[in-house]
Amino acid sequence: MNALEIPGLDRVLFTGEQIDARIRELAAEISRHYQGRTLKLVGVLKGSIFFLTTLARYLDVPIKIDFLAISSFSNRSGSPGVVRIAKDLDESIEGEDVLLVEDIVDTGFTLRYLLQTLAGRAPNSLSVCTFLDRNSRRIVQVPVDYRCFEIPDRFVVGFGLDHNQLYRNLDCVAVMKPEK
Amino acid sequence: MALIAVSGHPGCRFDEVARFSAQKLGFELLTQARIRTLTREEFGESAKIPDRAYSALVTSILARLGTEHHIVYCAVGGEVQARHFPGMLRVHVVAPENIRIGNIMLDHRVDRAAARQLLLEMEAADRADRKAKFGKTKATADLFDLVLNSEALTTEQMAELIQTAVESSGLKERGFVSQAAEAQLQFQMRFKLSRYGIVPPGNITLRKKMFANTSEEIFANLLDFYRIAWEYEPRSFPIQYHPDGTVLESFTPDFYLPEFDLYVELTTMKQSLVTRKNRKVRLLRELYPHLNIQVFYQKDFENLVFKYGLAERPVHS
Repeated sequence: MNALEIPGLDRVLFTGEQIDARIRELAAEISRHYQGRTLKLVGVLKGSIFFLTTLARYLDVPIKIDFLAISSFSNRSGSPGVVRIAKDLDESIEGEDVLLVEDIVDTGFTLRYLLQTLAGRAPNSLSVCTFLDRNSRRIVQVPVDYRCFEIPDRFVVGFGLDHNQLYRNLDCVAVMKPEK
Repeated sequence: MALIAVSGHPGCRFDEVARFSAQKLGFELLTQARIRTLTREEFGESAKIPDRAYSALVTSILARLGTEHHIVYCAVGGEVQARHFPGMLRVHVVAPENIRIGNIMLDHRVDRAAARQLLLEMEAADRADRKAKFGKTKATADLFDLVLNSEALTTEQMAELIQTAVESSGLKERGFVSQAAEAQLQFQMRFKLSRYGIVPPGNITLRKKMFANTSEEIFANLLDFYRIAWEYEPRSFPIQYHPDGTVLESFTPDFYLPEFDLYVELTTMKQSLVTRKNRKVRLLRELYPHLNIQVFYQKDFENLVFKYGLAERPVHS
């Protein structure tokens, strides 16, 4: 998909080539850190899958992959309830070196919840790797060990990130046009 | 916290299943009788709990116990109560009528005819109780994670099945309710209870939250969703003084998040007013350099609510 041909998109923030090169760099850094160990990548559905699979292919250490999903907040139907795991991991992470793979970290709300949940399951180590980091909107200070890109406060789509479930399959990251 | 809510048809001995399960799992057992005791301790001997306040009362008790224990909760409507807590397993025990009549005959030492009559009365009372407390007369199967039929299963076997379900779903691995989550739940529940005039001894009254705008309410809901404790406009900071020392101008941030010692100000207003607000925030930072404050501007907030599906598209600032 060519992002610039899509009417709702404003401009490309990171091209496919830039993303690929940066993920290679990050994968090398992670591989160095986890040398001699087996790494468990835990992807947060659905946004992280494109980033996780690309990252996984460039890692030089043995990896295992698992996924989880959390319930989403919506104010439309009255009380939104509380956050919970909508799809849990298939396997235990006890004793594992876990790298939580996120598509984007902004307020830190989701990541804080996930870290609290996973930390209670006795992993050997627990680190965070995010594709995008929107630090300007951070409310909860959460540890981000590896990040591909810091981004400004714009609504972005592509490479796994969506708008109403669309645009995930863009090979770049693009900024959406604000509505007039 | 793991919360196993066990309920069932009258006469099928679901309370026994709950007790066995609590013993096997090493969880705290919370029954109707214990709720009555805890209520007296918390709200005083003379406290009358209206049916409509019951749900909030039990959630408040569960939140308190959940900071130190995993819980087996055995009472009517436990499945409704459990929705406030993420690590839940809702169990319903059923049995054919003849089995339940047989149980009542043994438990109450009555003949079959009397037991049948007693069962009818218990069912009517159960429906009325459920209706008064939760607004519904029936608990349908889709409200439960596990429905057990005691026709063929003994209490011991049912407790074993519950134990297996708890272990396989990883409920035991969950931590207890955090202090912050408890504080937030307590606030919400005690706020509801205060509407019925129920306050703990010492007369702590809760100020009704009146948000200045929808954005603040959405933000509060978002914090609730992520179980992050918050206070609304808890403190005003003087930012300008008259030479005689009187306060000329103060600034009151919208939210305080005690867990992170962070104030949050939402600025979802037009640009001319934002300039004034920015000046206030700058003064606040100068006068109180130790204060952590995060300002959310209109675009920040719109993108945030857009992300969470609350707005159709981000809007121009």
